[in-house]
Amino acid sequence: MKTFAVLQLSGCAGCEVGLLNSQAWIDEYRLLYMPLVISVHDMPDTDRLLISGGVRTDEDVYNLHRAVRKTGYVVAIGTCAISGGIASLGNRDNVRELFFSQSARHHVPRLLPRSYPIDEYVSVDLYLPGCPPTPELFHSVLSENGKIRTNTTVCAECRRKKIREIRPAQITGFQEGKVSPEVCLIKQGFLCIGTSTRNGCGAPCPRAGHPCVGCRGPSNALIEKGSDAWFESIKKVFVALTDIPDDAIEEGLRSPQLSLFLFQFSDYAHTGRLPRPKEKVV
Amino acid sequence: MPKIVFPVSRIEGHAQVVIEVHAGRVVSARFKATEYRGFEHFVKGVAPEQMVVIVPRICGVCSTAHHLASVKALEMAFGVIPPPLALSIRELLMLGQMIQNQATSLFLFTMPDRLGLSSILEAAGEAGSAEQLSSLAHRALQVRNAGTKLIDTAGGQFIHPVKAVIGGVTGGIEEKLAETMHGTLMKTLPMACELFDYYIEKSVALKEQLGTWGDDTPTHYIAAVSEYRPDYTGDSIRIMGPDGRILATFPASGYLNHIQFEESEYSYSEKSSYGGKVFRANSLARINLADYMGTPLADRYLEQFRESFERPAHAILLFDIARGIELIYALERAIEILRQPLDNDETMVGYRTRDSEGYGLVEAPRGPLIHHYRITNGIISEAKFILPTVHNIIAIEQALRNSVERYIDSDRIDMEIERAVGRVVRAFDPCIACATH
Repeated sequence: MKTFAVLQLSGCAGCEVGLLNSQAWIDEYRLLYMPLVISVHDMPDTDRLLISGGVRTDEDVYNLHRAVRKTGYVVAIGTCAISGGIASLGNRDNVRELFFSQSARHHVPRLLPRSYPIDEYVSVDLYLPGCPPTPELFHSVLSENGKIRTNTTVCAECRRKKIREIRPAQITGFQEGKVSPEVCLIKQGFLCIGTSTRNGCGAPCPRAGHPCVGCRGPSNALIEKGSDAWFESIKKVFVALTDIPDDAIEEGLRSPQLSLFLFQFSDYAHTGRLPRPKEKVV
Repeated sequence: MPKIVFPVSRIEGHAQVVIEVHAGRVVSARFKATEYRGFEHFVKGVAPEQMVVIVPRICGVCSTAHHLASVKALEMAFGVIPPPLALSIRELLMLGQMIQNQATSLFLFTMPDRLGLSSILEAAGEAGSAEQLSSLAHRALQVRNAGTKLIDTAGGQFIHPVKAVIGGVTGGIEEKLAETMHGTLMKTLPMACELFDYYIEKSVALKEQLGTWGDDTPTHYIAAVSEYRPDYTGDSIRIMGPDGRILATFPASGYLNHIQFEESEYSYSEKSSYGGKVFRANSLARINLADYMGTPLADRYLEQFRESFERPAHAILLFDIARGIELIYALERAIEILRQPLDNDETMVGYRTRDSEGYGLVEAPRGPLIHHYRITNGIISEAKFILPTVHNIIAIEQALRNSVERYIDSDRIDMEIERAVGRVVRAFDPCIACATH
């Protein structure tokens, strides 16, 4: 039986909880290490190592380096491990200053100046983005070696209708107090970025009436380009589907709605890091 | 001074227990939270509407509780009252949260301590002699999956739900979907009872072996549930004294008048107390504060519990038993709600943003959770998260000290100490990602 381990760095355990939801691997793989559910304190040798969470403390760096020696195949799971995720909101300069108050503590792991993705430190064989990835995606990574078709967008999986005649003139959001269950959320004046976000999740958020926040990151068409291309692609969609003025779109897509992009944008924007090759991203 | 360090597993997040020993005496017992991400700092400058998407990421185990506390805080700030159907769907969300968490804590975190295993998944894939165990693992995962399925059904996403928004929820639950969920829970309920009965049996055996349920100094209790039918979306917090008297009742906005906070050098988590007195949150607090559960099977379990233990009950391992009673209650109550129509009325109302302040309270699996936001110039200018695990830190350290003293004397340290530390910490089911946020 094949074996795997899960190393959790600074994160929320949502990926681990998602993995537990995918029971498909239980009869196929032996999970040897995952402190959330197993009391084994030393990382054993395994066929596959899944790593979740961002690198936020010096202890994370140490644990990461120690763990990757024990396996031949590293999978970065979840948005934090891949691009810093939600914690990268703390990488903004004005926010980073607030963190300095924490660095005075002596008896806890020291905070790094910012939150880093794991490939800043180690090489990664496969990326599984999502916050968290769905059980099906976990299954795909463990049992099918990531062979899931991820060549389209969340928009293509959403099933809401883009009715030509409806063209909103402003971004209204939830303040109107209603969401139509059938119509495209952009057509209802929501800032949905499912049109440029990687598919594979089944579009649960827009289908439930909440705009896609892009947790799976850019689609294959955009992933090897810079953040500006991603941003432009989203903007173009709004120009084509709505009558919202350009500057309002621009303003809406940028601050303070920055959390719309928090999942990957913060990392892709102006870090000088090379994009991840699409063949490696599930 | 010699220190013994125990990494703690089968809890959410990164923590250590550090015991200082001198000449065979326990000098101190510390519970250290060793991670930190800084949510209170980095949500500054964010649009209020985005908070309900950001805060579930504080914790993948308690995400639903954060989602709802956030929405309630913003509704208070903007003066919005969501329609009744939205409230039913939100109650379902909290019940899903409870089922998922209590099943995880009981069957994945603490069951191994009763079976002498490192994990119930340990032998899940092996055939033959391990067959019973394998089936135990499968059933345990199935019960907790029923909770995440309920979160998915009511919240649109199985871990970080999205359907609760300022003014209500984005939509009802279609009849067919509700029916499927109802069917799943009907099948889950007897399975959960069976697992819980087995859990009680193994807990009694553990108690016989240890000679105690983990007796500890009596403390105060804090919870945000009403006396009858514990609604986890509650609006006021109550504090009970060690003798069972109710000492205070207050809304979320009054928390600073009743709860004191202190920072520590050795942990990223704060700790809190009731005016310097030790209190405890989580399942045992709720069971001590509840007169009835209000559903048949849960009430039967509660009755047995009351016959065996006093009210308030104080022993540490009773947290785990209390969790089981809540698991059964949450399943029964969700079944009741799913029998009502959930797609026949409006689910949200409009609102206007304004600069203001709001408090959002829910009773999360680990106790009362408060989100406190200030909105200035249309963006979040201040956010405080009052986490229930923080309320338990002093109680955990007290319980650890009392427990490890049983295993240390001037000649030797009994190796049972490591298991004892694990049992004590897990009884409180601390969530470190939440506590430090």
